[in-house]
Amino acid sequence: MPGIAISADKLTRRFGKFTAVDEISFEIPYGAIFGFLGANGAGKSTTIRMLCGILAPTSGTGKVGGFDVQTQPEEIKTVIGYVSQRFSLYSDLTVTENLLFYGQIYGLEGTALSGRIEEILKMTGLGTFRDRLSGELSGGWKQKLAIANAILHKPKIIFLDEPTAGLDPLSRRSIWELLYQLAEGGTSLFVTTHYMEEAERCNTIAFISDGKILKIGQPAQLKQDLSRQILEVTCHPLMKASRLFSSLEGVRGVTVYGTTLNLNVNDQKAVEERVRAVAGREGVTVTSIKPIPASLEDVFSDLDSGGQADAKH
Amino acid sequence: MRNIRAIAFKEFIQVSRDRRTLMLLILMPMMQLMIYGYGINTDVKHLPTYVYDQDRTYLSRRLVDSFTQSDYFTVKVQATSMAQVYSALDKGLAQSALIIPPDFTGDLLKKKGAQVQMIIDGTDSTPATVALNSSQAIINAFMQNEGLIPVQVLPIDFRPRLWYNPDLKSTYFMLPGLIALVLQFLVPMITATAIVREKERGNIEQLLVTPIKPYQLILGKIIPYIFIGIFIATSIITTMHYLFVVPIHGSIVTLFFMTLVYLVVCLGIGLWASTVADNQQQASQLVMFLAMPSILLSGFIFPRESMPLWVKDISYLIPMTYFLQIVRGIILKGLGFFDLIGQVWPLLLMAVVVIVFSIRRFSKRMA
Repeated sequence: MPGIAISADKLTRRFGKFTAVDEISFEIPYGAIFGFLGANGAGKSTTIRMLCGILAPTSGTGKVGGFDVQTQPEEIKTVIGYVSQRFSLYSDLTVTENLLFYGQIYGLEGTALSGRIEEILKMTGLGTFRDRLSGELSGGWKQKLAIANAILHKPKIIFLDEPTAGLDPLSRRSIWELLYQLAEGGTSLFVTTHYMEEAERCNTIAFISDGKILKIGQPAQLKQDLSRQILEVTCHPLMKASRLFSSLEGVRGVTVYGTTLNLNVNDQKAVEERVRAVAGREGVTVTSIKPIPASLEDVFSDLDSGGQADAKH
Repeated sequence: MRNIRAIAFKEFIQVSRDRRTLMLLILMPMMQLMIYGYGINTDVKHLPTYVYDQDRTYLSRRLVDSFTQSDYFTVKVQATSMAQVYSALDKGLAQSALIIPPDFTGDLLKKKGAQVQMIIDGTDSTPATVALNSSQAIINAFMQNEGLIPVQVLPIDFRPRLWYNPDLKSTYFMLPGLIALVLQFLVPMITATAIVREKERGNIEQLLVTPIKPYQLILGKIIPYIFIGIFIATSIITTMHYLFVVPIHGSIVTLFFMTLVYLVVCLGIGLWASTVADNQQQASQLVMFLAMPSILLSGFIFPRESMPLWVKDISYLIPMTYFLQIVRGIILKGLGFFDLIGQVWPLLLMAVVVIVFSIRRFSKRMA
């Protein structure tokens, strides 16, 4: 299959008795952005490490760029780019010195290397900081440098481990613009993130929890598939109402959004009646109740709050 | 090869930007040279001495003069009571005292056997021993010169001579040893911290996903420190030779070749320390911990000949023990490579063992 950049088939990794990654399977075509979501410790990093060829899987198979993760880890390293969560380039080298160093490690030399560096400096906008020590760059620019570094050898597959963690919204947006640009060029991106609005930008997302993929699909599809519905209740006083509603039958969860409550419910009609009843009895003023479309966060929290049983069918 | 070169190059840039390390590399050898060259002088000379001459005759003054004329004693005060002498010794104003009783000359003339007392501060055994021996020699010479005993023709004409360091200058002994001391201390320290730094700052995480091999990383990281080690050794040897005028009797080439072998051992120790330590602080503590026994047991300061047997056995495991004999042998005695083969092969063996062991351990850790 030439169109598939990354594939995993029942990929598993155990550390002693602990199963960090449990039989995960997926396929990512070239040019796609694959969002990998999950809480800390869910198995995201272990998956990335296996796919990058630095950790051998216990069982199952994985292919990256046509190479087997079990038997060809060194070949994999030549065709991928990697952006780590923590800035791990040399902070005491300048921007160009870092790029020169890694360029050589990736086998580039002479004019080919300097030409490529110029190209990347222009593409990322790092040109103005070329002689700045990379440790003195701001968080956003550091991350851009890390991405610049990862694409030096024009890899068709890039792994990004929370590339925008802790960055301001503007930097995050410009980094995503860079990622789209890469995806348009046919590069496939494997991105882990905590930000739901970033997950929305991916072609495909997968939720991982306790080493298992709970749900995988396109963001729009996942939201549509959500078996529960969301009721937006505008009411007063908010915290008292939140306490009351969360104990109602048929309510799986209550989230406070500014001046409204979002109720995660099974049966919209029945719950609406119960809400009005308890509100009248306890002196809570309800201004409006309306169903709203689910967000990815709702999908995520639904999975997280024991919705796994539902997610399976 | 290209990978190794790339790493060595970036390592050079990093070292050149690290002011604190640079200062350490330049200042520490120079500081040690100044301390051991000027400061710590184990040659015992001009020991402050109180004289309590109760005889006050021509002969007693001649005796005091012969003490003064030797470089070993300097008469600070002519004491007027024993109490003054005791108090001076207690307070450390005097380290020795010469007491001549009132009937010194009288007893001599009567051939009765005169008495002279010498009190020496024995707190520090080194100057005390020197003072003891030299006072004995001064008295003997005095008796012969004054005709108190006949000049004899001895059945054995014993003529001891000091070779290699006839003036017994401690700088001759200490400064060549400094090459060993400084390298043993600095090289593992900078190597270990440079490698641990990559771990600490997460650089390793990025390198792991590149096609670089562990051995390339190690060699690339080690090469700059070989150059730095040679630079340090050169600076010590040059200063020692030109500023402190320590003659170099042997071959410079052999000296540098053996320094290179010793450098490999030191780099290996640093590499090993880097695989054990999690951060730079731990790494430098570990290196210091290893350097202490080396300095104390290798014969750098204390002669190994006077160590208990089991301590001496331990000192055979210390690379510095061999390297000290090699540098001192080459510099002071003009020995060649094959004269020193007994010290050369253990050092070569240690270099191979340490470096192979550390590289394997490092590769395993990295994978």
